[in-house]
Amino acid sequence: MTLPLLARAGDRLTAFIVYVGELAVLWGRIMFLLFTTPLHWYRFLIQARRVGLGSFFISSLVAFFIGIIIALQMAYLMMQMSAEIYIPKVIAVSMARELAPVLTALIVAGRIGAGITAEIGSMVATEQVDALKAFAVDPLKYLAVPRFLSLVVMLPLLAFFATVIGIVGGFVICYFKLSLDGYLYWQMVCDALVPKDILTGLIKTLFFAMIIALVGCLEGLKVRGGADGVGRATTVAVVRSFVLIIASDCFFTFIFYFVFNI
Amino acid sequence: MIEIQNLFKTFDSVPVLNGLCLSVREGETKVVIGRSGVGKSVLLKSIVGILRPDSGSIRIAGQEVVGMPERQYDTLRKQIGLVFQNGALFDSMSVGDNVAFVTDEFMNISRQERGGRVARALSLVGLEGVEDMMPSQLSGGMRKRVSLARVLCMEPRIILYDEPTSEVDPVTADALIRLINGMRDRLGVTSIVVTHDMSAAYRLADSIAMFYHGQVIADAAPEEIRNSHHPVVRQFIEGNSSGPITDDESLKFGHLK
Repeated sequence: MTLPLLARAGDRLTAFIVYVGELAVLWGRIMFLLFTTPLHWYRFLIQARRVGLGSFFISSLVAFFIGIIIALQMAYLMMQMSAEIYIPKVIAVSMARELAPVLTALIVAGRIGAGITAEIGSMVATEQVDALKAFAVDPLKYLAVPRFLSLVVMLPLLAFFATVIGIVGGFVICYFKLSLDGYLYWQMVCDALVPKDILTGLIKTLFFAMIIALVGCLEGLKVRGGADGVGRATTVAVVRSFVLIIASDCFFTFIFYFVFNI
Repeated sequence: MIEIQNLFKTFDSVPVLNGLCLSVREGETKVVIGRSGVGKSVLLKSIVGILRPDSGSIRIAGQEVVGMPERQYDTLRKQIGLVFQNGALFDSMSVGDNVAFVTDEFMNISRQERGGRVARALSLVGLEGVEDMMPSQLSGGMRKRVSLARVLCMEPRIILYDEPTSEVDPVTADALIRLINGMRDRLGVTSIVVTHDMSAAYRLADSIAMFYHGQVIADAAPEEIRNSHHPVVRQFIEGNSSGPITDDESLKFGHLK
């Protein structure tokens, strides 16, 4: 009974390691192309617009609501200890270090990562990727590099704005519901936030962006079959991106806390 | 111009190309016939390097391409045009951008010259004024003609056609046959045409090769193929559902074996 379970767990672990290896190989090939061949800026700008402007509203909206939710939940706890004054600090630090980077990454993985897989997958299914190869155009250079670069540039920006807007969401509750002085709120936020809080969040988003781009492109390029294959690949891409984002978030938080003591 | 020797390609342990040998002279139009799934499209994709064969040799203009590094292959690919069976147009681009794709990628020419090349290529396939349309707005036949125009715009020395006359009306099919023959006669373009349309095959071919079980079982001038006594060739060109081809399969048309 135990042995088959162990065997299955071993198979899963092997598959996971192989998958991470495939992502690493794809990353290596993209980095090689990025630094050895000229970049087509207009392709990058099209993708950057799609990632940045296209996701700005939804990531900001979610961050705003999350700021409100944290303020309300903290208010419930802090009022019992007459410690409402610390709410701005909790909101600022949790948004900058954790919530804004992770939630923005999950939103972008669902919105952009799934789109990348669906787009590249349907291009594979309709032989458009084969056509690129036939015309001596490297599909990775044409499809993966601009998407990868746009995510790496835009996701940290989106996370930064999400942090600010989340703090504004907290301000709304602190100012209107808890009657905290507005100047004091922002003073507390500025006192609480130090550069390393912003930096750790942004470093994480760089890796989240790479995960979203690599998983999206890899699953798209691996599509077999028609619409069914594209649909399945899109689902797999979103699930794997989510798991890898959360797992790497845990990993980086561990490293920052225990290794760098920040 | 194209020399293929002992080509093998297997998909999921199913051999598709099974020691295939084929030779195409410079300026020749070779028509390839055979049932669906015998490896005709696989051959075209192997020549252009989309698929890499398991073993064997493909020599193009004297250069061995099996095992050739990608960058070196890319130089050769710019001289080879592949017209895909379903067009394979880039659906995020307009027709004009599709046709100018290779020009935009590799040639530094003025907007005016680019526009001229696109218009010329489209007029050759009987499509004018469709530059701003999107591929989703085109019929199957129109997509195929745009795909051909995209290849013509790159002015290749070798053109590979995957069923160029399927899904097009008889009038357009006739125009396409004339165009393909014209390119051979005027420009000396070497072509391999995969088709199931026997009347098109006879009109296009300098020679016809028939594939069966991943090998070439006949390779001769159109008249010789037309008068062939080979039972497999006869069944195929006559379009007969009874004969050695169907006897060889587990499912016989109309009834299970």
